[in-house]
Amino acid sequence: MPKTYEQINEKIRSGKAVVYTAEEVIDLVRSNGAEKAAEEVDVVTTGTFGAMCSSGAFVNFGHSSPPIRMTDIRLNDVPVDGGLAAVDTYIGATALTTNSKGGYGGAHVIEDLIAGKKIHLHAWGPGTDCYVRKDIDTYITLDDINDAYLYNPRNCYQNYSIATNTSDRTIYTYMGKLLPRMKNATYSSAGQLSPLLNDPHLETIGMGTRIFLGGGEGYVAWPGTQFKTNVEEVNGVPVAGARTLALIGDMKQMDAKYVRGLDITGYGISMAVGIGIPIPILNKEIMERCAISDDQIFADMVDYSQPVDRPPMARYSYAQLRTGKVEYNGKHIRTSSMSSYSGARDVANRLKDWIEHGEFMLNKPADVPFPKERKLNKLEERRC
Amino acid sequence: MMTEKKFKINFTESNVQDSVAYILVSEFDLRPNILKAEISGDGSGVMILSLVGDEEKLVKAEERLEEAGFDIKELEKRIHRDECLCWNCGACTSICPTGCISMDPKTFLINFDDSKCIACGACLNSCAVHALGLHI
Ligand code: SF4
Ligand code: SF4
Repeated sequence: MPKTYEQINEKIRSGKAVVYTAEEVIDLVRSNGAEKAAEEVDVVTTGTFGAMCSSGAFVNFGHSSPPIRMTDIRLNDVPVDGGLAAVDTYIGATALTTNSKGGYGGAHVIEDLIAGKKIHLHAWGPGTDCYVRKDIDTYITLDDINDAYLYNPRNCYQNYSIATNTSDRTIYTYMGKLLPRMKNATYSSAGQLSPLLNDPHLETIGMGTRIFLGGGEGYVAWPGTQFKTNVEEVNGVPVAGARTLALIGDMKQMDAKYVRGLDITGYGISMAVGIGIPIPILNKEIMERCAISDDQIFADMVDYSQPVDRPPMARYSYAQLRTGKVEYNGKHIRTSSMSSYSGARDVANRLKDWIEHGEFMLNKPADVPFPKERKLNKLEERRC
Repeated sequence: MMTEKKFKINFTESNVQDSVAYILVSEFDLRPNILKAEISGDGSGVMILSLVGDEEKLVKAEERLEEAGFDIKELEKRIHRDECLCWNCGACTSICPTGCISMDPKTFLINFDDSKCIACGACLNSCAVHALGLHI
């Protein structure tokens, strides 16, 4: 018997909802079958906790007296956007400090704000008749500022290629440190726990879906940038990056444990974000898809020493990757993850806990379909 | 009995590396391997040395170097991970050449076996949250 959002929410409200994480549900479906499991289970919680460069935060500082229209703004020496209204800004996660020591950026400012630390605000403006002031130098905290919310244009990549390096020198990439002559390979997906691998065609996830974002409640805002669908699928899920999500959530609810600034050597700054998405088990088909396991999810390995055109070299399952080594042409390659599996599990468990305790209701997405088919355009270089 | 020990030597002149190695090889038949050497502008610095050889001779060699005026100490712990900072991503696990760092297949938390650490430092810049440090 199919269920509805209303029925599931009613069970959550009365503390009777049956919730499994995407990891726990695998065995249940294997032993009882999807049909029975779909009747028993109301919600499956997913989780992911990895580097998501396309992230950031909108902030409103409040007006000083006399007021200033800030056009050049630094937070702990990190340049943030000066192209919004007088005291609004957007902190881009990858913005790098102007301090020559480096190693700190927008993501760290966001983490420090959430951690309740004082942040140095230094800003300048042109001085106008309505905003006479030309500079301000002060300290802010998350509590003082009016608004602070994450708006991450691209999170939750559905899958991601495995990175290796065939060249003779160590290379430093956003996929981490890659040793020469394929001594190692790195991957980045929560696999069987990952939100978009459990609902691969976004049957239940859409604009307005309520989620766990950085330790607080957030929402799916829009399809993520670079959302695409034309990727080969195996076992019903893509073998490389495909769909993505744009997410939004109030920073004042968040926990710095789930929002971490990253300083990736040789690449730059990024932000690790803990995200959990609940999947309502409305029918048997949705249940079947949630039972996918690491041995059924594959990714292609590509050579990051090639600046362009990286053809797939080999394909491995996440179960193989998580053993710490894979074989390629008779040779062992050490593998490591760039995202935290224990973190993803923690997120899925936290979200499960909230739902079991009636603290988190499901929000049915708005009737705004995300693209069923979409390809990406390339950036053309034109003369005029 | 053949064993391996690691030592840290503080020195004041940079030519010390050659003389230390010479003493160890010629007088004690030990196999030295310089794991790390840092020399500052004035020629002083610190060196991490692995020595393989007869256990008794290792003890004697340490005494001999002390007598020769070197500040030598056996190294017990080398790699250090700040557990509050580490988010158990696992990025460092494929970097370590000696397999000190591994991912627990059940908990997916990082395991450190620092007895295998040769203080090469390769893992340090693989950690994006600066949780790893080498104490010398
Ligand atoms: S310093 Fe070298 S040997 Fe020690 S843990 Fe790091 S990579 Fe391994
Ligand atoms: S790279 Fe750093 S954060 Fe990641 S597991 Fe190793 S020590 Fe922990």
